[in-house]
Amino acid sequence: MQRVLITGAAGWTGGHLARRLEKDGDLEILGVDDREPKIQFDSHFEQLPLDRLTLAQYVLDVEPNIVFHLHSVHPRSVQGQSKDAEERIVGSLALFGALERLKTVQKVIVKSDTAFYGASARNPSVLSESARPHGSPSRYERNLREMEQFIGDTAGRYPNMSVTVLRFAPIFGPSVGNPISMFLQMRAVPTMLGFDPRMQFIHETDAVSALVHAGNVGVPGTFNVAPEGQIFLSRVLRLGRRVAQPLPSKLFDKALTMLQRANIVIPDDLRGLLKFGRVTNTSAMANTFGFTPAFSQRGIALDVYGRNPETMA
Amino acid sequence: MTAQDLSSLTKKQLIVLARERNIAGRSTMSKAQLVEALSSTEQDVNRPDPAPDAFAGINIPGISPSDRAQAREKRDALYSRLSSFVDTEVHCAWRSSDGHPCGLPVTVGSPTCGLHGDGTTFDCAIPLTGQLGFSAWPRLLRQLSLATYDTDIFGLDPVIAEMVWHVVNMLYFDYFRVDVEGIENIPMEGGAVLVANHGAAALPYDGAMLGLSVMNEAEIPRRVRVIGTEIFNMLPGVSHLYRKAGGAYAAREDARELLARGHLLGVFPEGERGFMKPVWDAYKVGRLGRGGFADLAQEASVPIIPVAIVGSEEVHPTVMVSKRLAMLVKLVFPEQRLDAVAIALNPVPLPIRWRIRFLPPVEPTAPGHELDSLDQLELAENVRVTIQTALDDILSTRRTAF
Repeated sequence: MQRVLITGAAGWTGGHLARRLEKDGDLEILGVDDREPKIQFDSHFEQLPLDRLTLAQYVLDVEPNIVFHLHSVHPRSVQGQSKDAEERIVGSLALFGALERLKTVQKVIVKSDTAFYGASARNPSVLSESARPHGSPSRYERNLREMEQFIGDTAGRYPNMSVTVLRFAPIFGPSVGNPISMFLQMRAVPTMLGFDPRMQFIHETDAVSALVHAGNVGVPGTFNVAPEGQIFLSRVLRLGRRVAQPLPSKLFDKALTMLQRANIVIPDDLRGLLKFGRVTNTSAMANTFGFTPAFSQRGIALDVYGRNPETMA
Repeated sequence: MTAQDLSSLTKKQLIVLARERNIAGRSTMSKAQLVEALSSTEQDVNRPDPAPDAFAGINIPGISPSDRAQAREKRDALYSRLSSFVDTEVHCAWRSSDGHPCGLPVTVGSPTCGLHGDGTTFDCAIPLTGQLGFSAWPRLLRQLSLATYDTDIFGLDPVIAEMVWHVVNMLYFDYFRVDVEGIENIPMEGGAVLVANHGAAALPYDGAMLGLSVMNEAEIPRRVRVIGTEIFNMLPGVSHLYRKAGGAYAAREDARELLARGHLLGVFPEGERGFMKPVWDAYKVGRLGRGGFADLAQEASVPIIPVAIVGSEEVHPTVMVSKRLAMLVKLVFPEQRLDAVAIALNPVPLPIRWRIRFLPPVEPTAPGHELDSLDQLELAENVRVTIQTALDDILSTRRTAF
């Protein structure tokens, strides 16, 4: 029987991942996080402060075979929560230190983000995994790069351990409740006047499936995870019958700050994303990693806003 | 169909017929009126309506009536040629999530229209409605608002691209009166790198005209995907429109990706130096960048097609190049890499008669062979000389610029 550790199990993705793995059976699942679980699951859950050595101690005690590291980097919001990002980086350091010391770990799956590439007018239109990021990065993007850097170093030292880094496109879905989904499901969505970014999303269930798939196959490497193709932001809002509210950049910033006050979390990389967009090359995901998402870019938008799929008469 | 056949149909069917023939006021007509209107338009159903004259009633100095007639003729020829790609009798089989039909005619030999088809629409520019010009706009706008189709990974939106095509066609036929030679050098399928001289000073007309010349004159109307610098990504408004019209960003990765997908790639390696040539240096082709296009073509093993464009460098004669203005622009767009700005006297482009000559392709050497930097520069220099020779040849035979 294999022992699976999920960090960040209290989140939507972590909870659903645990449920899916429970259904597959023959796995002992342990979830850790620093807050109450959002999604209830049957397996063992431990509430730990993740930025301290307690996490490392815990990992050394339970000796997992497969680790899903979802509690990787937190998108720091525009206001406040600056401590969070720092804590998570330290948590990841502690975790990987412990994994190095253990020799039992076979597969490590890390949840990263395509925000790694930043958002810039000088980014190529289709970003492959080896693309060099341009422009000045936000704090979140810098943290992601830092994390991937030391994960890469660890993986290099321990070739027996298969490390899969999945760079997810923004996860978008009807129930995930992450900042970008909340933002795009508002009645009227502020957009930047004169910009219609090329976006790429991944459906919430596909994100979980990708993690399960990574746990099954254990292909080492870094992969962009998103359905093939792109969708314009205006198109997403049209499909959702949402009102796009184009604002000049100064007013747009003000609107984001006001939303922040109204308790909608706005990650600090959202502004760049809504200006320049981000589209990645997913051929490595399809060919090397061997995963195909069920929802297309249009399918995601139709599903999120509760519309039926399109057909051929 | 005779009047009797028509009157045996239901009113609903008659209205469908009337919509197809564009009969005005059909929604308010009675059944008898519909039958009458339909039987009177019966004769010219099979002949497409002549394309509208874009500049009817407007006199442009420098454009003679014979030019007008010629433009009209060319436009009609193109129109009837392109409408043979579309079967207006059959409608697309696609249904939206709300059960709405697509309503567009199918492309010949396929059950769907260009938008919901298998992606040929991304390389092949066939008018979606089977019509050219502004009369197609209402139906295109409907598609745009329904948003039922996919855009390609670089952001090409076939509907917007077609609307832009209809607009720029006016410049192409009526204003710049483009003459195209050597169109047979464009391959029917697969990628190629089109390398052209750059001019224009105010707006990149040459990119648009290069794209249109291949769409309008080649046997299969293929799209040329022109790549531009990052200023296109930064300018509000332009940033998404140029992408929807089929442009991409001039990064190596983009060019490589476009060629790998078998698109025609349009490049202006002279870059902004070419763009800001003063008028006394017009048609003196500068160094073609660092010859990166040669390497790209070799890597993708596609031919390089040199293109000589006469016209672009005179539409906005540059009288001076200002560094101060560039600093002002930089205040507004601090991310810009801009050293100088070209100043032209005329806000309206001059009605120059354009000539575009596609030169014989330079085939890639054996696949797998890599070019070193010297090979690249040599190849780029050869291409430059080819373009320069063609330009000189065209210039020596023309009597006037207008």
